[in-house]
Amino acid sequence: MAAKERERAEPKPDDVIMSVEDVTVRFGMDRGESRVLDSVSMDIHRNEILGIVGESGSGKSMFADALLDAVVDPGRVDGSITYYTDDGEPVDVLDLDKESLRTFRWEHVSMVFQGAMNSFNPTMDIRGHFVETLEAHDYDVESGLEHARELLEALYLDPDRVLDSYPHELSGGMSQRALIALSLVLEPDVLVMDEPTAALDLLMQRSILSLLETVKDEYDLTIVFITHDLPLVTGLADRIAVLYAFDFVEVGTAANLFENPSHPYTRSLLKAIPTLDTPLDEIKPIEGSSPDPVSLPTGCTYHPRCSLADDRCKDEEPAFHDVPADDGHRTACFHWEDAADEIPLTSDDETDTTTEIVGEQSDEALLSLSDVEVHFEQQVGLLESFFSDPSPVRAVDGVSLDIYENDVVALVGESGCGKTTLGKTIVAAQRPTGGEITYSGQDIWDAKDGEGDIEIPYGEIRKALQIIHQDPGSSLNPNRTVMANLEVPFKQWNTEMDHNDREKRILSMLEHVGMSPPRDYAHRYPHQLSGGEQQRVALIRALSMNPGVIFADEAVSALDVSLRVEMMDLMLELQDVFDTSFLFTSHNLSNARYLSASVDGRIAVMYLGEIVEIGPGEEVISNPKHPYTKILKWSTEDIDTEGEVAESPLREIDIPDPIDPPSGCSFHTRCPDARKACTEHDPLLTHDDSSAHHAACFREYPEDHPYWDSEPLSEATDETDDSSGSALEAGD
Amino acid sequence: MSHSDGTSGGDDFPFQTPTTGETTREERWSRTIDRTILAPMRIILSDWRGKVGVTILALYLFMGIAGPYLISPPETDTAHTLVGPFEMWQYPLGTDSSGRSLLADVVHATPPMLKMVFAGGVFAVTVGSIVGMVAGYKGGRVDQALMVITDSLMAIPGLPLIIVLAFLFEPRNPYLVGVILAIPAWAVLARSIRSQMLPLRNVEYVEANRLMGISTWKIILKDIAPNLMPYILVSFVSASRGIVFDSVALYFLGVLPTTDPNWGVTMDTAYSSGGALYSWGAAHWLIAPMLAVVFLSLGLILVAQAADKLFNPRIRARHQKTTASEDDEGEHEPQTPANANVR
Repeated sequence: MAAKERERAEPKPDDVIMSVEDVTVRFGMDRGESRVLDSVSMDIHRNEILGIVGESGSGKSMFADALLDAVVDPGRVDGSITYYTDDGEPVDVLDLDKESLRTFRWEHVSMVFQGAMNSFNPTMDIRGHFVETLEAHDYDVESGLEHARELLEALYLDPDRVLDSYPHELSGGMSQRALIALSLVLEPDVLVMDEPTAALDLLMQRSILSLLETVKDEYDLTIVFITHDLPLVTGLADRIAVLYAFDFVEVGTAANLFENPSHPYTRSLLKAIPTLDTPLDEIKPIEGSSPDPVSLPTGCTYHPRCSLADDRCKDEEPAFHDVPADDGHRTACFHWEDAADEIPLTSDDETDTTTEIVGEQSDEALLSLSDVEVHFEQQVGLLESFFSDPSPVRAVDGVSLDIYENDVVALVGESGCGKTTLGKTIVAAQRPTGGEITYSGQDIWDAKDGEGDIEIPYGEIRKALQIIHQDPGSSLNPNRTVMANLEVPFKQWNTEMDHNDREKRILSMLEHVGMSPPRDYAHRYPHQLSGGEQQRVALIRALSMNPGVIFADEAVSALDVSLRVEMMDLMLELQDVFDTSFLFTSHNLSNARYLSASVDGRIAVMYLGEIVEIGPGEEVISNPKHPYTKILKWSTEDIDTEGEVAESPLREIDIPDPIDPPSGCSFHTRCPDARKACTEHDPLLTHDDSSAHHAACFREYPEDHPYWDSEPLSEATDETDDSSGSALEAGD
Repeated sequence: MSHSDGTSGGDDFPFQTPTTGETTREERWSRTIDRTILAPMRIILSDWRGKVGVTILALYLFMGIAGPYLISPPETDTAHTLVGPFEMWQYPLGTDSSGRSLLADVVHATPPMLKMVFAGGVFAVTVGSIVGMVAGYKGGRVDQALMVITDSLMAIPGLPLIIVLAFLFEPRNPYLVGVILAIPAWAVLARSIRSQMLPLRNVEYVEANRLMGISTWKIILKDIAPNLMPYILVSFVSASRGIVFDSVALYFLGVLPTTDPNWGVTMDTAYSSGGALYSWGAAHWLIAPMLAVVFLSLGLILVAQAADKLFNPRIRARHQKTTASEDDEGEHEPQTPANANVR
């Protein structure tokens, strides 16, 4: 009772649904106490979308866990979290007993986790998950499932098909949407989403965001959206809070925060993210790294990385200051007034200092692919019962591509488009099922099998083609030190080198990539390095083979936003030093632009196993020809912070099944410009030899092509496509 | 310009010398010793189970190596038959019905037992791991062929097979006995190692090393085996325990030659000619060899439990003096289970 009266004494504004006051989460560790949330206070308003932005290790997931009182065991939560029911009754979340906590979660506040694949039980179909949740909370299963169908439909899923599938039968985007529906089935008031789209590609992220807005309005939701991607959330969120080193540093409406950020960290973060239109030399990484939760810097936690920091920042923790011009915009910095001058978001001075590294590309192709196909046979077993006639998955379907010396090619496409398979085929980690791939004129697989005249032995080719994986955590042997990991290639190929020679090279390379002191780093185990450092080690290990082509598979997407640019710079610099060629894959056009444009490389856009557009980096971005590239560009562009999230121009959200690709142009099922002719004929990539920029689309064909006379498909489908289900059927 | 021609040390490699000095030979040696010997010992001994287990096994080792020289072989002494334990200084564990010292009996049975356990454990684990790893890593035909062999071996009941083999060979050499006893054990291990190989085969760093042209053997040994070591170690221990139990049982039953010294033989005579099951006066005759079996098996289990942590690089790094300080580990968020279930 006493607590209740205190609440009445200082009334909260009506529209607050959850109020977090002075919450601290502590973990006792061997080396001391780790504070992973540091006196955080935040009000969440009813029916708003609150975006929480922070790098990994900034405590943002801990914030989500604390909202549901779900901090895992050794952690201790102090402070108070109050939830206000519809009638305005305050509920102290941290004080709930086990049973009321169980109803509180999911029925009042529910949560969507990052990896949908891990949140579902693989042995239970989706319907089972819904039934289980409804039963656990004593809801009527019958009407609950009816509600579930509505939700699935609102998320553009076919309820019948999805409910009867097992998790592995759904694509990443579909299972993430099914998870959102599952978390909404008990009609909660607050939905906490912890990086719900981070594992998906950009196009799917944008599509899900545009659906979230509708779902929120329809079901009266309050959404807390946690992400590391500031631009992603600006279009969606009403308010944004920036988390740095376990506490909020800036809060404001999305528009204010995006256009007029006042904390130096927010400004630097915005500058560190490559976009489609920022001049390349204005993208600057943030120096240094996030602090350790055990030994947080005194005063302002950002001062070691801040260019504005003075003695006051080192000693005193800054309180929140109101930014006068904007309502509700507050920032925790002493120097917020100077931040705009110190870190300008767009530079006005026209000093053109682009140090363009122009690759000296050879005329002769180093690697040449002609009509390469990789078809995976279906596994016998469960799947077979669904497809009476098992057909291969066409991961790569007829790709011809030349890679020159000193070349950079960025493969862009959604997940599942076959870009990783193509990349692995290019570095001879995957044997193609059709077509041929040659290295300096020598067919690679002939050399491996010992067929025909072999000019270049396979061992040499093997050395020349290397790979860098996406996940830095698993690209190094965790059981061996950095030194032992890096010694492997030298021991294998430079057998006459003695220990000292090897060590010298490894240490000097470590030093070059900024891991200093190198001797210290060399004797660590991979788990003692940060993600960025692990990726650097993987990079120099691949480079120490002195290879001709390196395939970097999404090499930066697992890194923190503020580190990506630095890593990409490093790769491009070493490309020049080692005279090697890079093949990057990315689902992010702006990363692809950064990688390819600054060294005069190319971008190749892939869709369903085919390259649909290829051309010089800057040219493809600024003047995309294929409708698919235009849509990818849409998904990457900065969203207009004022308006709603734009409707997706795609006619259909999900990518068709690569087992049974659509006839004619494979993109016609989703293409906004598709016409009847597209369903019948497949456009060629190189139909015009006059330029270096090609697109496989009939719209690039001359005016006399039948495409221009045939019926557009979009109107025709709009009429029949009232229920979203029928459009999805094509994806079966 | 040619790539990948780094066949000589003096190639065009851009990075040749670091700014820091060289590592001396002594430094390198101390590092290797620290990593391979001292750190593992520290890890095992940091656990009470490790301390107890290592002590027990050390005692058995001492008993097996020095015991036979310190204690003379058991001889009949008709003056002192069925002396109880701790009654006479001369016979600390007492004597049997013909006055033979039970301590001498137990001690002289130890060296062949240790040889058997060693030979059998090593045989089962090496054959099992190699077959399992090769089958799992290579896949395809190799996998099928190897699995046909292991499956057929698993289908044969183990005990009758051993009895037949023991009858055919009448093995006296303890190493041979150990190997024969381990024949049914390796097939199960090979099967489970193979299934654990399948996900490891496609781990990123394995693929990266494969693309560097590293040989299959090196990849299996350096990149894959360490991940399976905790399992292999536990299998080694359970195989060793199996050998102890099997050999004792087979000697007890008289399938293996009863003239060899073995705890099972002692138990058999205590049971059949001493009536140790029915009279308290002869109970110690049965209990002494039993305790020898129990403690050996206990020591093995404790060491295996403590050694489980040996292959966790995080723990290894903490016990390694020459590795960089642990303070930098804090760059990572405290490990939260990926998926705290909130349902």
